[in-house]
Amino acid sequence: MKRSFLILLLVAWLAGCATPAPPEPREILLAAAPETTLRETMHLLMERGYVIRHADGDLGRLEAVLGRMPGYGVSLRVAGQGEGSRVSFIATRGGRPLPPTVLDPLLTDLQSRLGLLP
Amino acid sequence: MRRWLLLLLPAALAGCQVTPTTLPVAEPAPAAECRWSAGPGDSLDRVVTALEAEGFLVRHTDASLGLVSAERARTTIYHDNGVERLPRIGGFVLGGSGGHVSSGVMIGLGTGFGVGVDEATRIERLSVMLDQGQLQVARDIRMIDWRGDLRESRSASDAGFCRDLRDAIEAVPAGEAP
Repeated sequence: MKRSFLILLLVAWLAGCATPAPPEPREILLAAAPETTLRETMHLLMERGYVIRHADGDLGRLEAVLGRMPGYGVSLRVAGQGEGSRVSFIATRGGRPLPPTVLDPLLTDLQSRLGLLP
Repeated sequence: MRRWLLLLLPAALAGCQVTPTTLPVAEPAPAAECRWSAGPGDSLDRVVTALEAEGFLVRHTDASLGLVSAERARTTIYHDNGVERLPRIGGFVLGGSGGHVSSGVMIGLGTGFGVGVDEATRIERLSVMLDQGQLQVARDIRMIDWRGDLRESRSASDAGFCRDLRDAIEAVPAGEAP
């Protein structure tokens, strides 16, 4: 009885560690040009202490890192869509994706910087 | 005893699943000195020239976005090597005497000290953005020990560094950069 309980405990313990975070990116449509979106996101990330490792306006990509253990990162893909841009964000912690909801405050700030909020 | 184990289970699961609820930011936040108004002659050329003079290797630039990303590595002495960060805790004692068997738990605390000096590589990563007449700098520092393990990583957008970098950029003669 006691042994089976301990085995159950061990399995639950390990399962808790192994469950991967959902890797889907946070997607958003913005009524702004892709390059403007990239530029404002760079501003916001650098204000938060992120170091931009790579950004390219033509490719619509941005990679930023934060030097806090165990290492955080944000990567961005921007594609033009009509008048606006489709942006997808992924935040990682130690190389593993974080839940997309962590990006919501950043997205709100981005929209307010772009003047898209009422 | 079993109730105690049941209490342990959620604690163990929660310990595995700690994720931040908002995007982490640098602590402390970048200093105000890390953002300043660019002078009339400031350009990415001057920034790159100044960074190269400071010993940085430019890794990436994007002129249309006004971005320079660079890094600087140097070997240094890492004083913290061989010292355990947290004291080790734990212990289990089982013993018996005179026909009686008893068990108990003993808690011990200990720290270890090694020779404590070793070579490490210190890597600074930096990005500078020049946009709409504003220059903005962000930097971090990572220490990697001789085994290749990351020992320390922190944001370092501090006032002293940014002031020095600003002086270095303003010291570059305008028009000299290619």
